[in-house]
Amino acid sequence: MKNTKNIRLIIGVGIIVAALLYLVISSTLSQSQYFMTVEELKNGQSELVGKNIRMSGVVLGDTIVYNPQTLELSFSVAQIPGDHKVIKEMGGMSAVLAQAAHDPSLPTISVHYKGPRPDLLKDEAQAIMTGALDEAGVFQVSELLLKCPSKYESELPEQSK
Amino acid sequence: MFYVGFLTSSLALAASVAALVVVIISLIRKQTQLPGAAVLLVKVGFFAHSAAVLILMVMQVLQDYSNVYVVSVINPAMPWILKLTALWGGQTGSLFFWSWIVSLCVFMALTGKKHLFDNWSLLVVTLNQILFLALSLIADNPFTRVWALQDGSLVTSLFAPQAGAVVERLNNGMGLNPLLRHPGMIIHPPLLYIGYALYLVPFAVGISTLVRGSQTEHLLDQTRTWLLAAWVFLGAGIVLGSWWSYDVLGWGGYWAWDPVETASLMPWLASTALLHSLLLERRKNIFQRFNLLLVLSSYLLVVFSIFVTRSGLVNSVHAFGESSISVPLLVFMLFLLLGSLGLLIWRWKSINSEWKFGSAFSRDALFLYTNIILMALVLICLWGLIFPLLNGALTGVEMTLHRGFYDRSTTPLFALLVILMAVCPIVGWNAAQIKQIGKKIWIPLTIATLGLMAVFLAGVRQAWALGGVFIVVLGFATLIYLTIRDGKAVGLRKFASFFWKQRARYGAWLVHAGILLIALGVIGMGNLAASIEGTMVPGEKMPLRDYEIEFVSVRESFENPEYLTVSAETVLYKDGKEIARLNPAQHIYPDRQQYVTIPDAHATLKGDVYTLLAGYDVDVPYITLRLSDNPLVNFLWIGGIFLSAGGTLAATLPGTRSNREEETSATEKSLESTGAADL
Repeated sequence: MKNTKNIRLIIGVGIIVAALLYLVISSTLSQSQYFMTVEELKNGQSELVGKNIRMSGVVLGDTIVYNPQTLELSFSVAQIPGDHKVIKEMGGMSAVLAQAAHDPSLPTISVHYKGPRPDLLKDEAQAIMTGALDEAGVFQVSELLLKCPSKYESELPEQSK
Repeated sequence: MFYVGFLTSSLALAASVAALVVVIISLIRKQTQLPGAAVLLVKVGFFAHSAAVLILMVMQVLQDYSNVYVVSVINPAMPWILKLTALWGGQTGSLFFWSWIVSLCVFMALTGKKHLFDNWSLLVVTLNQILFLALSLIADNPFTRVWALQDGSLVTSLFAPQAGAVVERLNNGMGLNPLLRHPGMIIHPPLLYIGYALYLVPFAVGISTLVRGSQTEHLLDQTRTWLLAAWVFLGAGIVLGSWWSYDVLGWGGYWAWDPVETASLMPWLASTALLHSLLLERRKNIFQRFNLLLVLSSYLLVVFSIFVTRSGLVNSVHAFGESSISVPLLVFMLFLLLGSLGLLIWRWKSINSEWKFGSAFSRDALFLYTNIILMALVLICLWGLIFPLLNGALTGVEMTLHRGFYDRSTTPLFALLVILMAVCPIVGWNAAQIKQIGKKIWIPLTIATLGLMAVFLAGVRQAWALGGVFIVVLGFATLIYLTIRDGKAVGLRKFASFFWKQRARYGAWLVHAGILLIALGVIGMGNLAASIEGTMVPGEKMPLRDYEIEFVSVRESFENPEYLTVSAETVLYKDGKEIARLNPAQHIYPDRQQYVTIPDAHATLKGDVYTLLAGYDVDVPYITLRLSDNPLVNFLWIGGIFLSAGGTLAATLPGTRSNREEETSATEKSLESTGAADL
């Protein structure tokens, strides 16, 4: 009696665990996204078409084109490093953004987004975008997040040691 | 001011360290009595800590711009209430505030009537208290001042960084982040912190139980009220945060599976499981091991959540850099984790744990299923947070998990939970059979079917939504039916006193009703919502379902010295009739280069018609508007109120076993004839 109960229990637990594992693994595979810089995206372009990608870059102000009637928005972003340490060494995010926005030697990529133009979208803003690369090499953005280097950040005194 | 603040906060740390030393000495001497000196020191530390917090708040209100934290969160235009609550509006202040909340909870546990702590648990709480206060004071001292060096440059430091430097009082501060200027954000952090900190007490008692190898009954009796209180505060905090994000963040969503949100949900889920299995432990003496595991993991998840929020290590998008407290916090977290695991393994065999179940449909079995699902949810959240880090460390490729991961993997589990919750009250405690359920269930089942038909006739066709509504109505009808049956059994006149005596039971039902309401809100937002976005010129209309919105005008005004108010005037029509005038707005803070959208909604119980001003031009003029129909969304907040009310009701029941047993047995007798004997 006790044995059959245990076997049933083990089978039950096994089924539950298997179902959970399936749920987690399949969701992980289908919903994970690459976090990339502009440069990495440019380098692996052909393989990455259609993949779910999250990318960060600096907005180039001159390239912004927006049609308020159709809500079509396109602009280009330039490479900024993805590593916190590198950014820190280069003098912080605001410095990196200001520099990258005016350095023509850096790789850039065009992006396209449909929706209202965010107020924070302007030159030197950091854009964090979720989307996928299309055949033409344009990054089609589904989710657009912008961060502006706060004006005050640079005015705040440095921490002394 | 600076000196008083600095000295009181340092005194608080010193007193806690001294208390720790006294406790350790007492442990070495194998004294069982709690040393009075340690208790006194903890209390002194708490008062000093409170004084320091007050000083910082006074500095904020008086706008002492020589203090770096004041400079970073205060400006003259802010109303005084925000100046006060800006204490938890920035990283530095909120860490200090959090360390004070921990002190407060320890203080409360020590001054309460019951003697919760022995030497071991006092050791655990003081250790935690010291860590957070030390992190705050050493890594990010809230009393740090601005100094002008001789060459005119400004630096921040506690004391003169070099000879000749003088304290510099700036003229102005940056002011609180506009996104945080919302009533939800004024109360959300304190609620969350209190909830988090309350978990420390059961954790400490749990550790001490393991170290001493004593039985867990003690744990159960003493910490029930603490756990419930923690659960209520954390739950209310989560719901408020969600309301804030719906009302302020400007995207009309209430939950985004952001790492910080996810991390705050995990201890809540774990302790929900704990509350259920504690009940089983009390009634049937089973699950002791599982409960200890849950008590420990609830607080470990709290520390993990603090780590996620403050370290900047998880999710590279949300943080610009690593904060200086991440390494010590990580080390401490691992220390607690390994310590707890070690203790559990060491004592595993000696914890009394039996495994006895009746039928697979008995209530204890349903409790077990519930807990398995809750734990699975915790593990999924944990995986979602850790996967990006693991993947980055192992493959070098940075990957994150999209919110779709959580949506996809947790939805079936949440759905199962709601179904279990709906049928659970109908199932009796002992070896209940489906037949028995069948007899009782026909009334709620009929009501649920009627509800389903009503929703179907109203035009809803989505399978998820229909199934969801059916389950929610079923659960709700069951709870009401059972309450009425109780009322009949004890008589209407006696029902008030019966209700009060059985408040643990009715509290739990209220909580379940709250969850069902929240489920309704989730279904509404997830399956039935619709929205449209468009650019309009004056006189133009935009349709959405039965609604139509007309843009009248847009204007800019400087009502507030800090920000420019852009307000659009729109008229909302339903079936051609005007039902509301909505004024979605933006507050633009030119100095900060930041704006906050202020949505406007026509809110009814049926749902919100919600408008967001996404873009505008005053000269043309045009606006870009987002119009959303969010059915049932307000049930999210109503459910949150039920949740808190039910939890509070249950928490007011005294925790000692003897009292409760008498009450329960008396009421069980009175109900036995009706077969309604329940918790």
